[in-house]
Amino acid sequence: MGTVHARSLEPLPVSGSDFGALGDEPELIEVEPEAKQEVLENKDVVVQHIHFDGLGRTKDDIIMYEIGDLFKAKNLIDVMRKSHEAREKLLRLGIFRQVEVLIDTCQGDDALPNGLDVTFEVTELRRLTGSYNTMVGNNEGSMVLGLKLPNLFGRAEKVTFQFSYGTKETSYGLSFFKPQPGNFERNFSLNLYKVTGQFPWSSLRETDRGVSTEFNFPIWKTNHTLKWEGVWRELGSLARTASFSVREESGHSLKSSLSHTMVIDSRNSSILPRRGALLKINQELAGYSGGDVAFLKEDFELQLNKQLLWDSVLSTTLWGGMLVPMGDKPSSIADRFYLGGPTSVRGFSMYSIGPQSEGDYLGGEAYWAGGLHLYTPLPFRPGRGGFGDLFRTHFFLNAGNLCNLNYGEGPKAHLRKLAEFIRWSYGAGIVLRLGNIARLELNYCIPMGVQSGDRICDGVQFGAGIRFL
Amino acid sequence: MHLPRRCQAGSQFLCGPLTLRGCHWFLLARPGPAERRWPRGIMSLVAEAFVTQIAAAEPWPENAALYQQLKEEQILLSDNASSLAVQAFLQMCNLPVQVVCRANAEYMSPSGKVPFIRVGNQVVSELGPIVQFVKAKGHSLSDGLNEVQKAEMKAYMELVNNMLLTAELYLQWCDDTTVEEITHPRYGSPYPWPLNRILAYQKQWEVRRKMKAIGWAGKSLEQVLEDVDQCCQALSQRLGTQPYFFNKQPTELDALVFGHLFTILTTQLTSDELSEKVKNYSNLVAFCRRIEQHYFEDHDKDSSASAASRSSKSYLPS
Repeated sequence: MGTVHARSLEPLPVSGSDFGALGDEPELIEVEPEAKQEVLENKDVVVQHIHFDGLGRTKDDIIMYEIGDLFKAKNLIDVMRKSHEAREKLLRLGIFRQVEVLIDTCQGDDALPNGLDVTFEVTELRRLTGSYNTMVGNNEGSMVLGLKLPNLFGRAEKVTFQFSYGTKETSYGLSFFKPQPGNFERNFSLNLYKVTGQFPWSSLRETDRGVSTEFNFPIWKTNHTLKWEGVWRELGSLARTASFSVREESGHSLKSSLSHTMVIDSRNSSILPRRGALLKINQELAGYSGGDVAFLKEDFELQLNKQLLWDSVLSTTLWGGMLVPMGDKPSSIADRFYLGGPTSVRGFSMYSIGPQSEGDYLGGEAYWAGGLHLYTPLPFRPGRGGFGDLFRTHFFLNAGNLCNLNYGEGPKAHLRKLAEFIRWSYGAGIVLRLGNIARLELNYCIPMGVQSGDRICDGVQFGAGIRFL
Repeated sequence: MHLPRRCQAGSQFLCGPLTLRGCHWFLLARPGPAERRWPRGIMSLVAEAFVTQIAAAEPWPENAALYQQLKEEQILLSDNASSLAVQAFLQMCNLPVQVVCRANAEYMSPSGKVPFIRVGNQVVSELGPIVQFVKAKGHSLSDGLNEVQKAEMKAYMELVNNMLLTAELYLQWCDDTTVEEITHPRYGSPYPWPLNRILAYQKQWEVRRKMKAIGWAGKSLEQVLEDVDQCCQALSQRLGTQPYFFNKQPTELDALVFGHLFTILTTQLTSDELSEKVKNYSNLVAFCRRIEQHYFEDHDKDSSASAASRSSKSYLPS
């Protein structure tokens, strides 16, 4: 809850009748706790002053927004709660290292008998901070070095430079972030980046250099993001033995796209949630603001969780997406969807389902994937209350399909194509939760519905990542 | 001028008489991205070994294809010369190949240079490896030569590559007027803004760096043209009055010389100085015409698409 100090009421001026009981008997040190509490709770107070100690470059107006609520507090419990909330909001801005709250009675000439002073003692972050992290992505790990300039102009703007070196990709990026004063959820960020990736399942190497601007804003219970992105993409073959279909995609292209994402998340945690649901819908339109790649891409993600008896959780997920190229150029391998792997349909090799040419997977323009999971605590619950709580056993059933759209055949034919030759798998395994960010899985999978051309990984499969089916 | 054009999918060969109004073409060769780390010598040895081992197995298929950049808008002088040399070589060996134009041909190529051919499952780029590849399949033009002649042929091919090709590259990328009026617009034409400028500048920087490495950066245009003249003189002297460099039968040297000289003669640049240097040597001009007539127009007569391919689209000098 933070540090909240409340001094005793004894040294108050003895002008109000309310404090008469205490003031009249100074030698009575022991006061019955219930009586004291009752007095405090029922006491109407007025927050007269709010002081800030330790502000340096932070501007006043953003602070005012965060603590404005505090002046409306009516009694002491309210003051304590609201000051705790204000402290959380101040910390969320990302400009203070520490915030401490002191609630004191008001001193001075204009002090009311029930007036309170709240003092926030803050320590601002240094102008330049460095960091070193390791990161876990979807089946890859990386080392990240970062430089951050928090609170650049005094209103919680932030400039970050990041360099990441990983097993599959290296990247660097510069980003500028600015929240709206008073409304931290509404923010704007501008990013410049260069990302290099290697995709051995397609024998493809991709280098993206891009710039993007993003607006985030909440509307009621949903979170929206509007983004414009301009990327110079360079594709190349990873090996001399790459298939010709992949070789044909080599070269440069420029993608300029507008995208919109809507997220409704009522889960209690993003990794191994116990209850709640997630709905995420994303659409991207490329080609109408420049560039030479034109398509409309839609994809969605749905997850429902329900807690059952004995600490077990039933979870279902559904993913789907579609890519419609506009104009007469076919879709690019860098835009298509991929399916399969320890974070997607388990039991298959990474992204190794669907259209392929000479062993290189080309991705598809439409896909769907679904999963049904039952998470239970480890059998016999070893390490209960401590380390053992990080592990869960899970039983899963995954299914999915990926195909290309051959236009002119109509939507019924596409649905039919997605419904035939479904790949599915089932199995069980152990899940380890890493903080609130990632999870590791070790599963025994049995893939079914395997089509010729798919690569399977039956038996034990290990996966690490953030987003799992 | 009326450039040799490949128009239909079916027709494969050059067409059109040698006249002097042409497209603006410039080509550029650059080291490929993937193989840049290896020194050229090792790479070519490995490539040769790889290629010969696999190539010998199958006969030449019907659907062999040769990839180059877009003919009308994009291809540059040096790339066009290289592509024409390979086409002439394959014609001389009587191996059918279909020319396919792709905007990203340079990036598709395993070595980063055009042209490259796709035969069955294999992809081979540049004239040297292609000659080796074709030889492994049992076709060769230089079998009848003795060792001395083979060495001589290699020496002249090196001369053409070091002089003519480098001069073409210099003219395309280091001469400011040409760069501005012809090279940059053509090189970036398939791409949207700003990618067209970025790629053109990137390529220019690479070529200029290469020129600096081989010592051509300090040369002036006149010196380069002098070098071209000397090279043509050497070729002209070697050719003499023979029909081909090694008397009766054409070899890969003939294909290479034809590719470069024909392209120089038939390409319109900002000035005619380069083609004038070649025109000074009448036996070289006759040589080019002879090969064109014999290996390209003849086949065209058989092809049913010849009428359409002959349709002339003249490119007016701008």
